[in-house]
Amino acid sequence: MSDIDIKRISYLAKLKLPSEKEEFYSNSLKDIIKWVDNLKKVDTSKTEPLHNVTEKTVSIRNDEVSKSNSVDDVLSNAPERAQNFFKVPKVVE
Amino acid sequence: MKNSISQIKKALIEKKISVGELYDEYLAKAKSGNNNSFNLVIDRENNISSINDSQNRYDNGNPLPLDGIPLGIKDLFCTKGIRTTASSKILSNYIPNYESFVTQQLLNDGSIFIGKNNCDEFAMGSSNETSYFGPVINPWKNKNSQKDNLVPGGSSGGSAAAVAEGSCVASMGTDTGGSIRQPASLCGIVGLKPTFGSCSRWGIVAFASSLDQAGPLTNCVEDAAYVLNSINKHDFNDSTSSNHQREDYLVDINNSFEKKIKIGIPSDYLEDVSDDILNQIDNTKKALSKHGIEFVDVKFKTTEYALSTYYILAPAEASSNLARYDGIRYGVREDGESLDDIYLNSRTKGFGDEVTRRILIGAYVLSAGYYDAYYRQAQKVRRLIKNDFQRILNEVDFILTPTTPNEAFKIGDKLDPISMYKNDIYTVPTSLAGLPGISIPSGLSKNGLPLGVQFIGNYFEEKLLLQLAALAEKELSFNE
Repeated sequence: MSDIDIKRISYLAKLKLPSEKEEFYSNSLKDIIKWVDNLKKVDTSKTEPLHNVTEKTVSIRNDEVSKSNSVDDVLSNAPERAQNFFKVPKVVE
Repeated sequence: MKNSISQIKKALIEKKISVGELYDEYLAKAKSGNNNSFNLVIDRENNISSINDSQNRYDNGNPLPLDGIPLGIKDLFCTKGIRTTASSKILSNYIPNYESFVTQQLLNDGSIFIGKNNCDEFAMGSSNETSYFGPVINPWKNKNSQKDNLVPGGSSGGSAAAVAEGSCVASMGTDTGGSIRQPASLCGIVGLKPTFGSCSRWGIVAFASSLDQAGPLTNCVEDAAYVLNSINKHDFNDSTSSNHQREDYLVDINNSFEKKIKIGIPSDYLEDVSDDILNQIDNTKKALSKHGIEFVDVKFKTTEYALSTYYILAPAEASSNLARYDGIRYGVREDGESLDDIYLNSRTKGFGDEVTRRILIGAYVLSAGYYDAYYRQAQKVRRLIKNDFQRILNEVDFILTPTTPNEAFKIGDKLDPISMYKNDIYTVPTSLAGLPGISIPSGLSKNGLPLGVQFIGNYFEEKLLLQLAALAEKELSFNE
């Protein structure tokens, strides 16, 4: 197992770990990755990955218009809104 | 013994108690409880129209299947107009505009919600210690050290404690790797995880979508059948919801089996377990042998890989599912100068340690260069685990295992994550295979704490599984 770049992983996860906690998470991650490493010895050369465990076909519904989620419903939990929009800091210059 | 749903319904029909009195009785217990089993309790005035409607149906002689029954709901189910937090800081102000499919079925059948049960944050935990609202305390005490507060198990720990302390008749939980069965076992009650695809996941705060399944925590097996009858329905809003024909789980539940039943006991599950745990299996075997049920030894080939597979797949799915918490559309927002700062600050301050850890594991196993070695390999091993179960279920009708490797432990006792993860050693394999499992209380440990056994059945055969569990429950007489 190669070393874990905790800064890169936390950036991928959109987390900004406080520097005093980086080592805590890094060690914890190393322990767990080492623990799950035993899967590598399983021969799966002839095995397909399993996505949906019951492998039942997805049921198809008719494509009909139905009413749900008004604008006010959708925005009712927004931390900040402006008229009918979510409000965020300026993104484009 | 606590009253069952059918006993309560009988008392309501015979007017020995009114729906309002019943609600008040449970509400008082929920409010005075010292176990932190609820994140939120619903006052009578906020349920008054449901209480009155229910009483009217009893007065008119046409009550619904769960009419007037006070239920607890794990704080992972979206409940319209009622705060739903997943026991996380990041959702601590979230009020859904819609009702989850499962809780809607329970409302349609006349039940009344007492409140939202505490749970591990985003259902990630096996001891209910990761909740933002503090740990839940198991109502049971170790008879040799009465003053210690014990964990109720997790993640549906509040649901299990609430049923055990008597502050709701039954509670809805969710199970990803054992989160219904394990707390049920540690709190001395019944917990059923239905087959994956039985009960819609729509409106349940998502943890690991290929594993999450809703199910009841109840005082007895018959109550589990009552709740399952209500919630086990096809739903177009969940693409993994199966659209097979459902049965009435109450019919025949107390009947004996028409054919000879064979149960497999995986000997590899019982290596290195304590006498307390072995006794549960022995007692169950003795109790059921009286009914002509045959027990055989079965051997899994994949048990040693189950936890590793689970702790790759579940965090991977979690890291993807929890990407939605960004501080923009709902949930708690932390200040930041740029949009990116808002994302980073809201997520970093909004998630607790265990959730952060699992998001990091997930991000790692899904990242470029590691995806095939970890995530894809785990998905392949998952198929081998499923095949292993299918091989054994071709030989036997059910599988009997302990539910947990130990009794309830002290709050704060297990600090390192891996020893905590090992608590789910008997429940995780069933979850990976997607099979239904039920934990029923089977006896007490030397310390006087409840322990359970798990029965595993075949896909969508909950009816037979409940029938077996009801028979074992009667013979083991834990509740008497």
